[in-house]
Amino acid sequence: MAQVAHASDRRRLFALLSPAYLWLTLAVFLPLSAMLFFSVLSDMPGADGGWGLTLGNYAAFLENPTYSTLLWKSLKLGATVTFFCVIIGYPCALVLAKSIRGRSREALFLLVILPFWSNSLVRIFSWAIVLRGNGVLERALNWVLPFDIRLNLMFTTEAVTIGLVHSYLPYVILTSYLALQAIDDDILDAARSMGASKLTILRRLLLPLSLPGLLAGAVLVFVPVVGSFMEPRILGGRMGTYYGTVIEDQFVAVYNWPLGAALSFILLAVVLVILGAASPALRKART
Amino acid sequence: MTLLALAGRVWLGLVLLFLYAPILMMAAMSFNASPFYQLPFEFSTKWYADMAGNDQIIDAALRSVLIAFVVTAIATAVGTAASIALFRYDFPGKRVLQVLLFPPIAIPWLITGTAMLVFFFSIGIGRGTPAVIIGHVALALPYVIVTVTARLSAFDVTLEEAARSMGAGQWTVLRRVTLPFIAPGIVAGGLFAFAVSFDQFVVSYFLSKPGDTTLPVLIYTAIRKGFTPEINAISTIIITVSMAVMFLAARKSNFGGDR
Amino acid sequence: MKTRTSLIALTAVALASAAHADEIRVLNWQGYGTDLDWSLEAFEEATGHTVVHEYFNSEQEMLTKMRTNPGAYDVVLINAAYTTQAYDEGLLAPIDTSAIDNYAGVPANFAEDPALMHEGKVYGVPWTWGLTAIAINSNSFDEAPTSIQVLWDPAYKGRVSIRDDAEEAVHLGALATGQDINNIEDLDAVEAKLAELMPQLRTFWSSENDWNQFMAAGELDVASYWSGSAARSAGMGLPVDFVVPEEGAIAWLDGLSIPETSEHKEAAAQFIDWMIDPEFYVQWDEEGAPASANAEAAAALPDDAFNKRVLGDPDVAALARFRAPMDDETRETYLALWQSLKAAQ
Repeated sequence: MAQVAHASDRRRLFALLSPAYLWLTLAVFLPLSAMLFFSVLSDMPGADGGWGLTLGNYAAFLENPTYSTLLWKSLKLGATVTFFCVIIGYPCALVLAKSIRGRSREALFLLVILPFWSNSLVRIFSWAIVLRGNGVLERALNWVLPFDIRLNLMFTTEAVTIGLVHSYLPYVILTSYLALQAIDDDILDAARSMGASKLTILRRLLLPLSLPGLLAGAVLVFVPVVGSFMEPRILGGRMGTYYGTVIEDQFVAVYNWPLGAALSFILLAVVLVILGAASPALRKART
Repeated sequence: MTLLALAGRVWLGLVLLFLYAPILMMAAMSFNASPFYQLPFEFSTKWYADMAGNDQIIDAALRSVLIAFVVTAIATAVGTAASIALFRYDFPGKRVLQVLLFPPIAIPWLITGTAMLVFFFSIGIGRGTPAVIIGHVALALPYVIVTVTARLSAFDVTLEEAARSMGAGQWTVLRRVTLPFIAPGIVAGGLFAFAVSFDQFVVSYFLSKPGDTTLPVLIYTAIRKGFTPEINAISTIIITVSMAVMFLAARKSNFGGDR
Repeated sequence: MKTRTSLIALTAVALASAAHADEIRVLNWQGYGTDLDWSLEAFEEATGHTVVHEYFNSEQEMLTKMRTNPGAYDVVLINAAYTTQAYDEGLLAPIDTSAIDNYAGVPANFAEDPALMHEGKVYGVPWTWGLTAIAINSNSFDEAPTSIQVLWDPAYKGRVSIRDDAEEAVHLGALATGQDINNIEDLDAVEAKLAELMPQLRTFWSSENDWNQFMAAGELDVASYWSGSAARSAGMGLPVDFVVPEEGAIAWLDGLSIPETSEHKEAAAQFIDWMIDPEFYVQWDEEGAPASANAEAAAALPDDAFNKRVLGDPDVAALARFRAPMDDETRETYLALWQSLKAAQ
C-alpha cells in the first residue's frame, strides 16, 4: 500500500474518496447527527414546549432490564443467523468458484442472486405460507413420510432464523465467491502436485486467502440482522420481540424519538465494539 | 466426477431449493384464487387481470425499477472510486473512514429514514424522487464499498507496479489492470445496490411525494388493509423479467469471470 | 330527499367557484374510505377537485408527517384520541361547518366531543366510529361467547390472538379486570391479567391483512378485532362473528380535520362534506365500512347491514367505552409494560 506523500497522490486520494463520503455526509451522517442530538434531549422539541439536555435516555437502557435482555437476544439471533449463513453459504461459493466451470457457473451464480431482487415483505409472507401449521411444508412432508408429523414451525424463533438466513444468505455466497474466484488455480495445482490433500488445500490455502471475502459477507449479515424487526414481527409471533422491534415501537407507537435514537446508538456502539474485538482475533487467524 | 464434486453439486442444489422455496410459493400464490392465500390451491389468472388494470401498481413498479437503475449506476461508480482509494493509499484517519461505513448498515433503516426526512426537510431538499435517490445511494454505498474492497484484497499490487515500470500511466494502469481484475466485485456491488434500492421501503416511504410511490412502499402501506395476490402477480412478473434480462446479459458478458 | 339536495347544493357550490379546481391532498390509512375510486370520480365530476392520497401506518406517524410537511395536506384523518394533541401543537385549522351541509346530521354526542371542539370551534368533523372487541371463528364455537374472559379460556389455548399494540392490550386488560379504560386504577392487576394471557396467544396480529390470513389458515379461534373489519372479513366469506362482550368494548371515533397549513381549505371542506354524505356512506358500506358518525347516514342503511343491525343496537351502544385522549407519559408507561411482557416470552 502506498503512503500518501506527494501532493499529486493527495489530490488523487481526495478525488476518489470525496464523492462517496460527501454523499454519505449529506444523506446519512448529518441526519444521524441530528438524531444523536435528539438522543440527549429530555423531550421532543415542539411537543410540549420545554426540553433540556439529558443522558436519561441512555440511563433508561441500564435501568430497564427489558432493553438489555432484548439486545442480548438480538445479538444471539445475529450470531445464529450469521453462523448458518456461513456454513451454508461458504461451501456453496466454493463449489461455484472452484468446481463448476464455464457458462453454467454464470447461470448458477445469477440464480443465487435473483431471489434477492424480490420484495422482502412478499418473501416473508411467502415463508409464512410455507411454514404455518398445515402449510405447504407440513403437507409436503406428510405426503412423503409414512407417519404424521406436526412441525409447528410458524411463530417460533426457528421461523425467524429461517426467514433471516434466507434473506441474508446471498451476501455470504457472493462475497466468498468473489474472494475464492480471485485465487489463482495455478497455486492450487502446485499445492496438489506437491501432495497436499484436499483438506489441507482448503485449510491452508483457500480458507485463509478467501477469509476477507467471507468476513465481509459475515459482517453484512450480522450487522443488519441485530437490528431487524420485520422478519421477527411477522414470523416470530409471540416470540418475535427483539431489540429492533422495541426501537420501532418508540418511533411508531409513542412519539419518543429521543429514547428510540438512544437505543439505536447503543446498538451501533455494541455492534462496533463486537466487530472491533473480533478483528484482531480474526486477523491472527489469517496468518 | 469425484464423489466430493458430486456432493458439492448436491449441496448447491439444496441451497438453491431453499432460496427458491418462497419465490416459488410467491409465484404459485399469484395463480391461486383465494384472496387470503388459502389452501387448497385453485387455479386462477384473476390476479394478473386485476393487476393489469391497476395503474397504481404498474406505475409504482416502473418507478421502482427506474430509481434502482439510477441508484445502481451512481452508487457503483462512486463506491468503486472510494474502495480503490481505501485500498491503495494509507493515510491518517483511514480506519475512521472505514468504520464510518457501518452506521448506515447498523442503524435500523427506520431511524435513518426518519432522520433523513427531518434533515432533508430542514435544508430544503424536501421530498420527491431526487430525495429518494439521494437516500438510496447513501444506503447502497457501504454495500458496494465492502464488496469491492473484499475483491480488491485479493489483488496483487505488484501487477500495477509492473505495468507502471513498463511505462503505463496511472490512468492506463487503472483501466487495463485494476478495473478488469475487480470487475466481478463491481458487478456484485451493483447487484447489491440494485437490491438495496429495489427493496427499500422505509426510506422511500418517508421521502417519496404523495402519489409518486414505489412498489415496496405500496406493499408496505397495503399490509394494513390486506394486500391481494396482485402483489404476487407483479412480483412474479418482475422476477421472471429480471431472470431473462440477467441471462441474456450473462451470455454476452463474462462477469462470472474465468480469468 | 336530503341527500339529493345536498349533492345538488354541492354541485352548485362547485359551479359557483367554477374553474377553481384544486388538488386536495388527503392523509389517511390506506383503503379507509377516502380513496375509493368510484367516489373520487364522482367527487371530481361534481366539484372539479382531484384528490391525491398519502398514507400513514400509525397515528404517531400521521402527526410526524403533519409536523414535518407543512402545506402538504388538506384533509387528515385523526382518531379523536389524538385530535387534542394535534390541536395543542397548532397543527389544525378551525373548520367552518356552515360550508358542510351534511354536518347537521351528526348527533351532538359526536359533534360536541371535547376532543373535537376547542373554544367553541370545530377542529374535527366526526366521520366514522367503531368498536374494538372480539371476533370468533364461528366454526369453533357452538354458541358465541358473551364474556371477554373467553380469551383466557384454557380450551382455546394457543388459538388466541390480540393486536400487538400497547394501548389496546392494556385496555383489554382493563375491561377484563372490570376497570375504566380511561382511568385505570390498578395497573398491576392489568399487567398480571395480561401476563396470564400471553401463553394463550398463538401470535399477535398487526393488520387486517394478518388477521384475515391467520383466520383463513385456521390458526385462530378467537381474537380481538375491529367491528368494521369483522364485517368486511365476514363479507369476504370468512367464518367470522363479531362479539361485543358484556364487560364492554373499546370504542373509537375518527374525525376528518383540516391542517392549519392547508392551502385549499374550501375544497377540503367540500371533500369532508362528501365523506359524511349519506349517499356515499350507503355505497361504501356495501364494501365494508365502519359505522358512520352521521346519524342520517346510519339510518339510510338497509336493515340487515352489520353497522345497523349490530352497532345500531342500543344495548351494544351502551357497552361502548370511548377512548379518551391520553398523555404521552401514560402512553409510554403502557408501552413499557407491554414490552416487558413481550420480552419475557
